[in-house]
Amino acid sequence: MTDFTIILRSMTTRMFSTVTTIITVAVAVALMLVLLSMKESGRQAFERGAGNMHMLVSAEASPLLAVLNSVFYSAPPRQALTWEKYRSIAGSFPWEFAIPIQQGDSYRGFPVMATTRDFFTRFQPHEGTPWQVSQGRFFEDSFEVVVGATAARVTGVTIGSELFLTHGMEQSRQRSWLVGGPPDPNAPAPHVHYEYNYKVVGILEPTGSAHDRALFTDLTSSWIIHAHDRRREANPGVPLATEADLIDADRLITGIYLRVATRPGRQLSAAQQQIYDTLRTDISITVADPHFEVGKLFNIVSNIDQVFIAIAGVVLVSSGIAIMLALYNSMEQRRRQIAVLRVLGASRMRVFGLVLTESAILGLLGALAGVALCFIGVQIVAELMKQRLGVVVSPSLEPVWTFVLVMATILLAALAGAAPAARAYQTAVIKHLKPLG
Amino acid sequence: MTTPPALQIDNLRFRYESSKADAPWVVDLPNLKLDAGEQMLLTGRSGRGKSTLLYLIAGLMEPTSGVIRVNGQDVHALRGEKRDLFRGRSIGMIFQTFNLLHGFSALENVLAALMFSAIKPTEHRARALALLDRLGIDQPNRAAEQLSVGQQQRVAVARAVACEPVLVLADEPTASLDPENAAAAMDLIQRACVEQGAALLCTSHDPAMPARFTRTASLENAS
Repeated sequence: MTDFTIILRSMTTRMFSTVTTIITVAVAVALMLVLLSMKESGRQAFERGAGNMHMLVSAEASPLLAVLNSVFYSAPPRQALTWEKYRSIAGSFPWEFAIPIQQGDSYRGFPVMATTRDFFTRFQPHEGTPWQVSQGRFFEDSFEVVVGATAARVTGVTIGSELFLTHGMEQSRQRSWLVGGPPDPNAPAPHVHYEYNYKVVGILEPTGSAHDRALFTDLTSSWIIHAHDRRREANPGVPLATEADLIDADRLITGIYLRVATRPGRQLSAAQQQIYDTLRTDISITVADPHFEVGKLFNIVSNIDQVFIAIAGVVLVSSGIAIMLALYNSMEQRRRQIAVLRVLGASRMRVFGLVLTESAILGLLGALAGVALCFIGVQIVAELMKQRLGVVVSPSLEPVWTFVLVMATILLAALAGAAPAARAYQTAVIKHLKPLG
Repeated sequence: MTTPPALQIDNLRFRYESSKADAPWVVDLPNLKLDAGEQMLLTGRSGRGKSTLLYLIAGLMEPTSGVIRVNGQDVHALRGEKRDLFRGRSIGMIFQTFNLLHGFSALENVLAALMFSAIKPTEHRARALALLDRLGIDQPNRAAEQLSVGQQQRVAVARAVACEPVLVLADEPTASLDPENAAAAMDLIQRACVEQGAALLCTSHDPAMPARFTRTASLENAS
């Protein structure tokens, strides 16, 4: 028999109160951990998408919008850049890469990005981690498509699958402007490029970024299918367009991924800021530093995070009060037990310690249950973020934060136990040994 | 070297601090001595201070004046934790309503007493089981509140003598029992004290009790 046995018996004889108190603490701890976990993993997810690019050039209205649309596939960019502009920018500075991208089409709701092979060989969605195919290969010819991990999993396409792309985002055509709103009966039917079929040649390994939701094909085929639309509008009986039919007006892109040449092993270049400033003097384009924009976006979001974390903190304190009330109320039933323990030789301080330890154990059990609950919670939140925001996060519990929070919960619980412990300390032995009634 | 008496009381007086200065003493005992292993009955009607005297001896109340020595140790010279530990190791208590720990098994009730003893923890379990077996408890792991009244009494006795105390204080141990069970309970208490070598100071207002003791004292004329 140890003090722990006495505490355990005390807890099990009041099982309902013990369990509800532990649940209260667990919910508070889980809430706090989910918020901390999502905050960190959310930041990582956003940073992952921008990868090793230094700058993004587009014709969007603002740098933040450019990053959201061209890196996170928030919506198809509304403004285009000419191929001439691309060549001008690509030739103006010592780039390590200048990768043109074009967005606008989709496949079953997943965005399609038309680009060059440099996108897979030079750009890295997560700095230091190049693209990998889980099956097949990267595209080499026109009308070949490589599918992101999530898009492949959800759509079920496999190597060799043939598919047609839809002009624009199908969902945005079918639904009213209100997110999640009812279908709009007046919206035009989605235009599918049935004239050209694409062949799936590769499935990408997951990157943990928004790119996992996209499909990738080459620029030329994208220009061709849109050139065909242009030509058919003028003459419905026109034969299928080929590369030879392309004119300058067809060769449009929606953005450029840029990385300034750096010394081996370096991630940044001294010339980066100067180049950025020079590019910004061109008012026909929008230049964005994706990492800066992500950081800016996160600073806005983190203010809300802080409010949530403060609320979670209040919930945690409330759970401490719940522990205090549960123990304090139980004192009335336990005074006889305490009096008997005193007669058997337990000192006032030992009785005080027993109640305080019981409180701390409630905190510990609640915290551990909270950590377990958090594991489930983050999966749910991550899934919701993926579905609602298109942001792929891989939440993980930061060991240091988890340890600190568990310890803080135990400390808080022990503090909450101080009042009931003091009541136990003051228990009048004689009074509570007398026969009842 | 002579063995000190199990209990030695000299000029003990007690009244509550809130009482007036001329209020009668709740306990007024010029002297009382109980040798090791000796058994004594204290009689007196309700309200004559029998229970109060036991609590004073156990160090749970402070005397107004006088000295109480248990096994030669002035109980009230010890303070705080030292007195609690001394009580746990030297004095066993049996109550009218047993005061067993709710939610604890019979075995755990005895082990709880042994926690505060000087006996090695590794011996606690075997010792408690042997004691319960000797006192007729065949289901030591059953919750105390699920045992019959007679069995609860046995557990209470086992708990009181488990630490091999020099003195057992029994406060009206048969007050809630019928005569037949009261006799059986007293047999048990007295035999257990003899077996454990503990002195017994028992309070009772049961007229059948004096016949069981070679020494009796009355608190009727105490104040």
